[in-house]
Amino acid sequence: MKQTLVTGNEAAAWGARLVRAKYIPNFPITPQTECIETLARWSADGELPGTYFDRMESEHSVMSAAVGAAAVGTRVFTATSSQGLLLMHEVLYIAAGMRLPIVMANISRGLSAPVTLWSDHNDFLDQRDSGWLMFHAENNQEVLDMVLQAYRITEDPRVLLPAMVNMDGYVLSFTDEPINIPSPGQVEEFLPGYDPAHTIAHGRPITVGPPVLDEYSIFKAQNHVASRNALAVIEEVQDDFERIFGRRYHLVDGFMLEDAELVLVTQGSMSTTAKAAILEMRDEGIKVGLLRLRVIRPWPNEAVAGALKDAKAIAVIDRNVAPGKGGIMFPEIIETLYNLDRRPLVSGFVVGLGGKPQTESKVKEITHKLMDDLAAGRPRMEWNDLEET
Amino acid sequence: MQEFKSLKDIPEQDYFTGGSSTCAGCGPSLGLKLALKVLGPETIIINSAGCMTLLPLYPNTPLKASWIHNAIENAASTAAGARHGLDMLGDKDMNVVVYAGDGATYDIGFASLSAAAAKNERIIYICYNNQSYGNTGFQWSTATPYGSETKTTPRGKENPTGTTVVNKDMLKIMGAHRVYAATASLAYPVDFLNKLGRAKERDGFSYIELLGACTAGWNYDPRLTIKISKLAVRCGMWPLYEIEHGMLNLNKDFSELKPVDEFLNMQGRYRALPPNGVERLQGLINEHWAELKEYNGQRYV
Repeated sequence: MKQTLVTGNEAAAWGARLVRAKYIPNFPITPQTECIETLARWSADGELPGTYFDRMESEHSVMSAAVGAAAVGTRVFTATSSQGLLLMHEVLYIAAGMRLPIVMANISRGLSAPVTLWSDHNDFLDQRDSGWLMFHAENNQEVLDMVLQAYRITEDPRVLLPAMVNMDGYVLSFTDEPINIPSPGQVEEFLPGYDPAHTIAHGRPITVGPPVLDEYSIFKAQNHVASRNALAVIEEVQDDFERIFGRRYHLVDGFMLEDAELVLVTQGSMSTTAKAAILEMRDEGIKVGLLRLRVIRPWPNEAVAGALKDAKAIAVIDRNVAPGKGGIMFPEIIETLYNLDRRPLVSGFVVGLGGKPQTESKVKEITHKLMDDLAAGRPRMEWNDLEET
Repeated sequence: MQEFKSLKDIPEQDYFTGGSSTCAGCGPSLGLKLALKVLGPETIIINSAGCMTLLPLYPNTPLKASWIHNAIENAASTAAGARHGLDMLGDKDMNVVVYAGDGATYDIGFASLSAAAAKNERIIYICYNNQSYGNTGFQWSTATPYGSETKTTPRGKENPTGTTVVNKDMLKIMGAHRVYAATASLAYPVDFLNKLGRAKERDGFSYIELLGACTAGWNYDPRLTIKISKLAVRCGMWPLYEIEHGMLNLNKDFSELKPVDEFLNMQGRYRALPPNGVERLQGLINEHWAELKEYNGQRYV
């Protein structure tokens, strides 16, 4: 298959182009900017027929305009990062509550203050409870594939929730990787035009986003059910996806888990580094594997528990921090395993904040610490990011 | 569209019917009822959080047009998205109309409004100005006039004036965006609806600011909404004018303004405004009126 060198930002832009998004409200922020610049160039060159590229005055207005356009039945794409995602925060809940299938790429970057341009996952995970579907890509091929799949999943009548596709800033956003860019015909076969059942049309006025009284919890429960429905839909779309594009994804990404006694739980681009380290450690006879979380919301508890239940010890590697608590995914993993008959030991490591590189030697160090924890029978929660500063 | 000549020309057909939860005598509700006579049911009203947000209350609505409530500060951006969405779907005929309060317009939503106006989006933006944050119980906004008492600018020993900040000159600001900008009054419905009709025909952004007399906040007898609205125009508190291509057109000219006292005395919010406060307010009104007279028919912004 023909491969093309593109950055993560360009891969997301290709996704928006191939799904024929009709409306792209946007606002620049590092490291997302190249994504919208790519779309702006295509729009100026007439390569996005049927798409309106709308420059807004803030990310808050980007998400507000996305809501307006999606409410009238338009397929919408946008992208942001970091502070921009936080500025959207209010409207993210509204988009989910209105059940609007907007797809947005987030190119993750640490949050101020102090200012950093480099990646960690706090921006994205801060939106965890917004009602959006939340996906996290490992590489640029997965960025493009996730955007394509996100539209199929969000537009499914059982789901109708917005979806966020996360990629790590710089590591993916500005790195060229060879990927397969499918043909427009292939994508059209996978994802037909958007034909919503519920939208504003002539002769059929509707009300979107009114106040409610006692019914509030019913709407929130529907949001929850729709998100849980997405678990099955994510798996269902893989058959079509594999038939057309030759690739297949799962709710979680397992690596050398079959006989693994030790398992590292990771997210995003650091997973590739960790996999390389695991191959070397396997040569040394260490039975270590990896579980990459790629679907964060809805939370695939059965898939996560199934992948981890036979491990002796688990290291949850969080590229984020909830100050006063620890890594954000650490307790989610513990909670997922709590009701198993035999619970593995689970240690937590906070790493790589503000783009601090996650090297193979760091991954090995964490693995050896996990072995120590297992031998001592005592898990740890450690900030593994502070030396050499 | 044909201009209305008198009240008799205004359509009887209503798209805002019974069953709303707003106050008796509510100016902004009446404004929307009138507006829909011109806009019709093929309209999406984009509402920002405020008094009007309570018009639809699930599962009921008094409106026979579509409605989107997003948040408080983003009605103009939501409207821009809806407009472009409809355009990309090939639907050019649906009206996209913002109906937002002054707090959402002058203050928290100003960035989104300014951008939509600068981009000349094909939207009608109606600001119903009740000169306060009305729905939260009448607090100060930058549209609140000098001397008005509000819940966050109460009169007291240290500050007998209440609101000491002079309200923004929003029409001038919007006129400077090179869009159509006009004031309107419930006491002059023919003028209001003709302005709206012209806005509907325009291929670009229109800003219409309607004085939305607020019986609860201004503290007057609900019977007097139209009378108060008329007095506001007659005393120069709320002059009727429009700005198009930067040119000023005074719609209701008077050889002499009525003194502001009668307008003030009808409302609890000005009760106990000290004489020097009244004097300052009268001075501000006179200054603004003189400016409008001077630039009438000329380039204003």
